[in-house]
Amino acid sequence: MSDRYDVVIIGGGHNGLTTAAYLAKAGRTVLVLEKKNSLGGAAVTEEFFPGFRASSIADESNTLSPKIVADLKLKSFGLHILPADPLVFAPQKEGRHLTIWHDVMRTSREIARFSQADARTYPVFIKEMGKMARVVSALNHMILPDMPDVGFMDLPEALKLFKPIRSLGWKNITQVMRNLPLPLADLIAEWFESDAVKAAITASALNHISLGPQESGTGYAFLQNFGHSNNGLFRAGGQIKGGTGALTAALADAAKHAGAHIQMNADVSQITMRNNCAAGVVLADGKTISADKVISAIDMRTTYLGLVDAGPLDGTVLKHIRNITYSGTMARVHYALDDLPVFKGLDGHSSQALRGHIQLAPTMTYLQKAFDPVKYGQFSEHPYLDIRIPTLNDPSMALGGKHVLSATVKYIPFHLREGNWETLHDALGQLVSRTISEWAPDFEQCVQHCHVITPLAMQNDYYLPEGSLTHGDITLDQSLWMRPIPGYTQYQSPLKGLYHCSAATHPGAGITGINGLNAARRILRGKK
Amino acid sequence: MSTHYDAVIIGGGHNGLTAAAYLAKAGRKVLVLERCHILGGAASSDELYPGFTYTLYSYVVSLLSPTVISDLQLHRHGLNLIPLNGSFTPMENGDCITFHEDDAKTYASIRRHSKLDAEAYFKFSEFMVDLARSMKPFLEVVPPDVVRPGWDGLRTMGFLGRHIRSFDKEKFHWVHKIMTMSAYDFLSEWFETDVLIAALAQVGIIGTMLGIKSPGTAYVMLHYYLGEVDGDTSEWATQVGGTGGVSAAIASSARNFGAEIRCNAPVTQVIIKNGEAVGVALENGDEISAKTVVSACDPNMTFRKLVEEKELPPDLVRAIDNFKFRGSSGKVNLSLDGLPDFPALKDKSILQGGMPEIAPSCDYLERAYDDAKYDDFSKRPFMGCIIPSTVDPTMAPEGKHSMSIFVQYASYNMPKHGNRDQQRAAFGKTVIDTLAEFAPNIKDLILHQQVITPWDIEQQIGICEGNISHGELTLDQLFFMRPTPGWAKYRTPIRGYYQCGSGTHPGGGITGTPAQLAVSEMFKDGV
Repeated sequence: MSDRYDVVIIGGGHNGLTTAAYLAKAGRTVLVLEKKNSLGGAAVTEEFFPGFRASSIADESNTLSPKIVADLKLKSFGLHILPADPLVFAPQKEGRHLTIWHDVMRTSREIARFSQADARTYPVFIKEMGKMARVVSALNHMILPDMPDVGFMDLPEALKLFKPIRSLGWKNITQVMRNLPLPLADLIAEWFESDAVKAAITASALNHISLGPQESGTGYAFLQNFGHSNNGLFRAGGQIKGGTGALTAALADAAKHAGAHIQMNADVSQITMRNNCAAGVVLADGKTISADKVISAIDMRTTYLGLVDAGPLDGTVLKHIRNITYSGTMARVHYALDDLPVFKGLDGHSSQALRGHIQLAPTMTYLQKAFDPVKYGQFSEHPYLDIRIPTLNDPSMALGGKHVLSATVKYIPFHLREGNWETLHDALGQLVSRTISEWAPDFEQCVQHCHVITPLAMQNDYYLPEGSLTHGDITLDQSLWMRPIPGYTQYQSPLKGLYHCSAATHPGAGITGINGLNAARRILRGKK
Repeated sequence: MSTHYDAVIIGGGHNGLTAAAYLAKAGRKVLVLERCHILGGAASSDELYPGFTYTLYSYVVSLLSPTVISDLQLHRHGLNLIPLNGSFTPMENGDCITFHEDDAKTYASIRRHSKLDAEAYFKFSEFMVDLARSMKPFLEVVPPDVVRPGWDGLRTMGFLGRHIRSFDKEKFHWVHKIMTMSAYDFLSEWFETDVLIAALAQVGIIGTMLGIKSPGTAYVMLHYYLGEVDGDTSEWATQVGGTGGVSAAIASSARNFGAEIRCNAPVTQVIIKNGEAVGVALENGDEISAKTVVSACDPNMTFRKLVEEKELPPDLVRAIDNFKFRGSSGKVNLSLDGLPDFPALKDKSILQGGMPEIAPSCDYLERAYDDAKYDDFSKRPFMGCIIPSTVDPTMAPEGKHSMSIFVQYASYNMPKHGNRDQQRAAFGKTVIDTLAEFAPNIKDLILHQQVITPWDIEQQIGICEGNISHGELTLDQLFFMRPTPGWAKYRTPIRGYYQCGSGTHPGGGITGTPAQLAVSEMFKDGV
């Protein structure tokens, strides 16, 4: 292996691999350096207990941009999406439950049990959200102008918005503008009256939201979710066979096939500079690799406060980087199960309803109250759980016909005011077990093993600073042309030769690959 | 009495009176109809107990437009503002942070908490004033309709576009940040002292059901930096005789120009013929005809109560129903037998015309919000107090004092506390108990007290859900979206029917600007 490349990419997460694949396809010599002995960053499948595998961190419905799947022919590299229907199962108090199916009319009939008006509204809502989603999706695929400087190069990018806005209707553009700063709770309340319906739709969009649904700006994060989804249907992307790690594997194979080199256990300790221009990297073992361009597929703080000499950076830039807020507000808990738990209100072992996301959050107030304590470095006794049982669609995740249950726990703070995550680790597991048992009383009898990933573990074991999956909160002040830092939206950086492609960049978090795709486009476009 | 007017204005609040004055000044025959027995709406004063004048709702002045002041010659008509003599925030540990007119004293006060912050504070103040100045042009224009701008709108957009281009990059990004961040996050980029952040951040929650950590509150903070008193930017003041004096000055100016003003004249409906407003119907059955009808009320009153639903497009009805009022603030007004003592305050001179503000820590403020957002009031609320009688002898008999306490948060509905009377009583008790933690002698001094919840505000002066800004000042309800996209230019779908209250751009506070801009649009339509 030579030690000179056109491009060196720091970090083998899904965005780093996407960029690598595109650049290698375009004929660049590319090397991806991953610190761990496995690829994927937050998109990993791991065996957490002998015979049981789970998507350790990120576990949303498949949201990978269809463009990337097609461009990189990921299906031929083993990407296989399993349909998951229903999309959402949301149990309610007194054994009732709300199920959201792929089929809009079927869902509508389901909603009618809660509200006739909402049942009529739902298909309209999905249609309207679908139109807005296309605008947001186009926005996500844009290399945004570095506001306030708008140049000729920004024009072709802006044209991408033309078609989706036309289908939305020009006069409705104010609706999109109005929805961005709106609190998610208000946005939903403008459509629906039933608390169960409101909570089910709201909860489906909280993956990357660090705030409670009553806070301003969560409307933007909500629309983002739709932007990554399938025409207004949420959580409709299906389940990746083999977990999110299988997606990583397909991306890595596509990159390798295109000629990229990928090296694991390669801990970058420094980005080297020559004539004020990034010129390569030095690894922890002393090895140097030179490159024309260095791309950081990791977060901003680690890059600038860890890997580069801050000397040449101006004060404003450093201030922006220090001021990026990261709020880890989730934990993951995986269970190895001997048997499927029975949820209240579901007859016998009817498992069909459990194939999508199981959302334990019956009301809007429940969701908001799950958030409140985070502000004081605590977590609620009644967290919101977003659960998947991947083995129902994909038995290969556990041996011997057993089951895996993975829960995303919201909201759990990284910074605790009292105690620490070493001592609270077990308590968190118990809290989650207790919460599930409230809805599925026999749950604890089914559990063979419980594996807790605290926000601290996300930082230490998965290199997610402050336990944040998003590399910077998805709030309006850190989005669009403010992301990752103001003035450097176009995947370039304050240092010549250094670029970004992680979730820290526009359009933000989620396993979408769009950050990686846009970064590759930008690098291939510009000579800068 | 003549029964035909060029314009009849519904609501004798400060915006209604301002619109009347401008219209009368231009020679129109104008009538203002006010439902209460006193003028002023949310800017009113009343002598509730002999010798004690209460500044009933809004209690400090700063945002009143200098253009309005000079156009209407308000100083000649009794506008008489006394600048506040600083403010102070007592802490729970018995310490205190004070803000004086004298910069050296303010520096020393902050310096005791943090040297870095003491230095940053003055830079921050300058920075905010500069940022506020940069934003001002946005507040002084009629918002363009972004969908159908027309020539006027294009001209405004061009003007604002050029204005934005004149910002340097950094300022552009600061504007983006202040529009979208929480007051707490924004201030945390500048300061490290918790109580200092709390004392500054509380401005960001005024009139909103949002916490200092809720995105959007940084803008509200800026909104209150936009003001000035007699040329001093970001200065706040009280009016001699209470804020009712401001309304009285505008009313006097309006009358001087020939406007007619009637109190105790509640309007029940705008009379519409063939899609055109032709007058108003009063509660007593009288009808008054007019070429133009102007509502100075909140958007809910303007669109949902004064006119029938069938007169409006369904989109607009839906948008107004979705408009967020959410009153979050109440008032407790006290007559006192003496001056309250704040033991945390060492230099007592600041009590003379200064503001005690109960915002002892960021957690305190945030918990106050968390308590209230589930239909309740804060167990320990935020309070901004003034004791105008220390500098204005007209407010109380000699040796006695009147105290006006702005309290946040209280919800419009607080069912946990029983019926409305019980809710009010519980709320009042909590306010006094909390205040007594910081000023222990307060309970012994109280001669009379008046407690006002958001529901009371709605009952007394008609503002929907008692929101003091006629609707929250959140990003989704500002500028061309206030009150709703397409109807932000003071017009309504009904010909001859206009809106000019705080529910229109640029929003709440005693500004007069919505009315001034509304009248400019009316003139364009040939009113």
